[in-house]
Amino acid sequence: MTSDTPADRRGGRTRGLLSRLRSGRSGPRSRGRRRLGAAARLLAALTLAGGAYTVFAPGLQAQDTPQLSIAGQEGKLLYDQSCVTCHGRNAQGVQDRGPSLIGVGAASVEFQVSSGRMPMARQEAQAERKPPVFNDEQTRQLAQYVQELGGGPQLPDGRDLKQGADPARGGQLYRVNCSSCHAFGGSGGALSSGKYAPSLRPASDRQIYAAMLTGPQNMPVFGDNQLTPEQKRDIIAYVQETLKGDKDSGGFNLGRYGPVTEGLAIFLVGITALVFASLWIAGKS
Amino acid sequence: MKRRKFDLKSVPAATAKGVDERFQVATPLRALLNKVFPDHWSFLLGEIALFSFIVLLLTGTFLTIFFEPSMKETTYEGSYAPLRGVHMSAAYASSLDLSFDIRGGLIMRQMHHWAALLFMASIVCHMLRVFFTGAFRKPRETNWIIGSLLFWVGFLAGFTGYSLPDDGLSGTGLRIASAIMLSIPVIGSWVTSSIFGGEFPGDIIISRFFIAHVMLIPAALLALIGAHLGLVFKQKHTQWPGPGRTNDNVVGERMFPRYAIKQGGYFMIVFGVIALLGGLFQINPIWLFGPYEAAVVSAASQPDWYVMFLDGSTRLMPGWELHIPIGNGYVIPPIFWPTVVLPGILVGMSLGYPFVEARMNKDKESHNLLQRPRDVPERTALGAMAVSFYVVLTFSGGNDVIADKMRISLNAMTWAGRIGLIIIPPLAYYITHRICLGLQQHDREVLAHGVETGIIRRLPNGRFEEVHQPLGRVDEHGHDGLPYIGWTVPKKMNRLGALGPAIKGFFYPIEKPADSPVSPGHPPVSSGQEREEIGSGHR
Amino acid sequence: MSTTTAHGAGQEPVDLNDPTLKRFDIVLEGARQDGIEIVHYEPQFEPGSKAERRMARTIALFFLLTGLAGTAFLVIYIAWPWGYEFGAGPDKLYTPLLGLTLGVALLGVGFGILTWGKKLLPREVSIQDRHDGPSSDEDQKVVANTMAYMADELGVKRRPLLGISLLAGLAPIGAAAAAPLVGGLISQPHKNNQMFTTAWAPAKQEGGGQKLIRLTREDGTPIRPDDVSTGGQMTVFPGVPGGATNKHADSPTLLIHLRPEDAEKARQANAREKNAGYMYGDYIAYSKICTHAGCPASLFEQQTNRLLCPCHQSQFQITDNARPIFGPASRRLPQLPITVDDEGFFVARSDYTETVGPDFWERP
Repeated sequence: MTSDTPADRRGGRTRGLLSRLRSGRSGPRSRGRRRLGAAARLLAALTLAGGAYTVFAPGLQAQDTPQLSIAGQEGKLLYDQSCVTCHGRNAQGVQDRGPSLIGVGAASVEFQVSSGRMPMARQEAQAERKPPVFNDEQTRQLAQYVQELGGGPQLPDGRDLKQGADPARGGQLYRVNCSSCHAFGGSGGALSSGKYAPSLRPASDRQIYAAMLTGPQNMPVFGDNQLTPEQKRDIIAYVQETLKGDKDSGGFNLGRYGPVTEGLAIFLVGITALVFASLWIAGKS
Repeated sequence: MKRRKFDLKSVPAATAKGVDERFQVATPLRALLNKVFPDHWSFLLGEIALFSFIVLLLTGTFLTIFFEPSMKETTYEGSYAPLRGVHMSAAYASSLDLSFDIRGGLIMRQMHHWAALLFMASIVCHMLRVFFTGAFRKPRETNWIIGSLLFWVGFLAGFTGYSLPDDGLSGTGLRIASAIMLSIPVIGSWVTSSIFGGEFPGDIIISRFFIAHVMLIPAALLALIGAHLGLVFKQKHTQWPGPGRTNDNVVGERMFPRYAIKQGGYFMIVFGVIALLGGLFQINPIWLFGPYEAAVVSAASQPDWYVMFLDGSTRLMPGWELHIPIGNGYVIPPIFWPTVVLPGILVGMSLGYPFVEARMNKDKESHNLLQRPRDVPERTALGAMAVSFYVVLTFSGGNDVIADKMRISLNAMTWAGRIGLIIIPPLAYYITHRICLGLQQHDREVLAHGVETGIIRRLPNGRFEEVHQPLGRVDEHGHDGLPYIGWTVPKKMNRLGALGPAIKGFFYPIEKPADSPVSPGHPPVSSGQEREEIGSGHR
Repeated sequence: MSTTTAHGAGQEPVDLNDPTLKRFDIVLEGARQDGIEIVHYEPQFEPGSKAERRMARTIALFFLLTGLAGTAFLVIYIAWPWGYEFGAGPDKLYTPLLGLTLGVALLGVGFGILTWGKKLLPREVSIQDRHDGPSSDEDQKVVANTMAYMADELGVKRRPLLGISLLAGLAPIGAAAAAPLVGGLISQPHKNNQMFTTAWAPAKQEGGGQKLIRLTREDGTPIRPDDVSTGGQMTVFPGVPGGATNKHADSPTLLIHLRPEDAEKARQANAREKNAGYMYGDYIAYSKICTHAGCPASLFEQQTNRLLCPCHQSQFQITDNARPIFGPASRRLPQLPITVDDEGFFVARSDYTETVGPDFWERP
């Protein structure tokens, strides 16, 4: 959907509404009334959309475009290619498809896009980590665009956000705030009804920072008043240096899944090896 | 006078003579050296438990020298940088020191933990062997009871040991243990308060668990293991049926030299496997869990595998609270049923089973010959039922990890466990029962009609049929009258010696066909089985 | 030398003083005396044969391997840089190398001994009689009569007073032996009403007033409402000395900042359960200690407003009084009534009004 004509825009909006109406939750109402209601709503929506367009369209050209920085304009182009279907024309969100992006900030965009969670392949309980669609530059442009649209939390500059941080203090904070979901070794864990806290192994400094700051999906938000930027850096240092950088002292770590894999190992390795040995010992030869 | 010459060669004999004059050992020693033990791979499962117990004693003694069983608060200043400056109990600090500041301490700790897992795993395997072969029957009921108690005492040993390091995982385990004790009707709060010395966690539980873990429980284990082995010795080991083997003899190898050598070698192997596990596989990285704090828990907090079935039953239990509306009202919380009542039932069932089975079968005989699982379909099926029950519970104990790694809904896993716990055991019973009957029938069929030769013959009327090689002499009806003696029926031509021997070995043949070492003094049970060999008889 | 002749149990005793006896004949005679018949005894290799020498070499190789691995173990134990270093240094290989060398050394001995026993020793099949019937009738009779005789001599039946008084004496002394253990251990669980109170109970001040307890972070700093973002949660501890330590293991609390629409739902639910006014604005605080087994129920899902306990997967609906909606928990999490004091910091208006932590018999 690269074309930018008003008709197309209105059409897209209408299509969205139509599909919503078709799959809508109209339950026990009679078919006739439902159709009537649908028609009325469709009409109202069309009027609204058209009206809104006529009201805002000149303003959009007049106010929006000049205010966008160059990066923001680049970001808008990318947005219109990949995000507009679910998040709507001006990032105001499309019901049942995608939330509004007004005020989520650059941090949220960077987290979602750089970890490949957005754009989503399909609607599901939880967006999964994938290879990212956009490169760093494009991600930054998208983030810039959303930031300029509605403001919101932003990440500090730089790739390495843990310089001078204290992993020991970060460890204490990690155990109180993070390990209940992401587990002691950062391998992630299950949440209710198919949701999960992802593994921290592939996460970058900026992604961890952004996740704490914005609380993506079901993760609680850890704003700067709760965990100061320094504390966030400490946590990042603990995750990146201690959990990932510090190799295990006791040999192969069995995935750091705790006693479950240890129990599996004692049967698959210990008992199996010893049963084979006993077969050989008691065998005749 | 002849000068006494010191004869070096005569020293051992003279010493032996001297010892015997004082302690009279020759006669009992002869009996000991000559004692005959039957030989089968499955008889070595119990040995794994015994040997890992010895490893546990050795490594555990090492650990006690460095461990400080105290909940006194200190600040960690050891060499593990990511925890430096953290407040923790002395117990946790000394566990960290064992891992990082004592040369070779980490491998000892890991070997101790792996040996504990192996101890429990081999007890369970050994118990299953004893159950499925009927080795618990008269006269060995007492030893079955001792063995079952060994599992539960080992369970306590494991749990107290798991609690000692006072890391996040042990503290969580202790917290749940205290909730389990609290749930006991009427006396729950008194029991908990008495054991923890006040409200959870108090400041004495680690010292109490320590003394239980290094003194009381090992003493109980030693006593039970001593009694267990003594009874095996006294009652002599069971053996599989087979040619020359009766209820009144033991066929096998004498203690000396072969049996003792095998035992010694196997000990070294068990020890070696534990050493490999302890060095190559990291177990319970306490430094990642951090010190125990009441507000901190890690996802995937599980007990060790042998406790996991209780954790699983707790997870599957619906939140049914029993409210007793007397006075202010009293409560029996839902955690009481899966963690106090269920283990109680399991202990009772396992201890009582030999007597129940004997009563059901009106069986008052002594049995020294084992039974093949297929020959007792009901028992085997009951065992399969119990095993599947246990396995469902154990898997449910790790259902959050399974849900997370396999991308299954956690709630779905819980429901699968709840439904599975009801459906799978009866299913296992039915299927096992049918399999046993099928195997039995096939044995009888081969005994009656002979072994399939793979040779197809065309009859004059044009029909095709496969030629069967009878196992024994054929009577006028074309049937041979070989009775089933409770042991493997040869089902392939090479087992009869009519074809080349089956080639054994993993990658290349490891053995030549065994000739038939049957003594002239002991004719086989029937002439048809001349080619069967006496021996340990695994296969 | 194939000795598959039958010796032992069924045989006539051999005169051990016979000088023509070979050593093995004496062994056989010993076995016979123990009711053992060695029915098959056969070396697996011709003595001095090529195969035997090869087997001996294999075994020797195992033992040499052990020596090698054992030496390597010692060298590594002493010389390898083992002190903990952050990162991926050689100290991370210390334990694996020790395990590997020790394991190989032990397996070497094990396989050496086993091969020796299995291959170089003659194969044997021995049969031993069990003799495990009951004791002879005579023995049974003698023992039974001896016991009865002892009872007669003691005259327990004739002198009932002795038996009764002995029992009367034994019972107290037995109890006295157990008493110190039980008495020393026993501890009144309701001392200071400890099971029903937490550190959130307002402190009594001199002069009769009450000082409300502040909500603090783990380092003891108090918390302002804007410290917790919308959709955020914070583990808070009572602002008393040692409030974040395990001394107050029943006090950790989860402070949650709900979205406005969720907060409205939670407020209405609170009102239904007579907990009206427990919230402060959109902030709500629940005990972190699970009512099922006491783990910290701390997996807060900010979109569904569910709280999950990682130990047994109980799930609580925060917007509905933290009612358990899945899993084994049967009781909702106790709610801490909160407000903000004059300085703008969160305080607990009172202690929990329900019992915190796992259930027990006398919980009202």
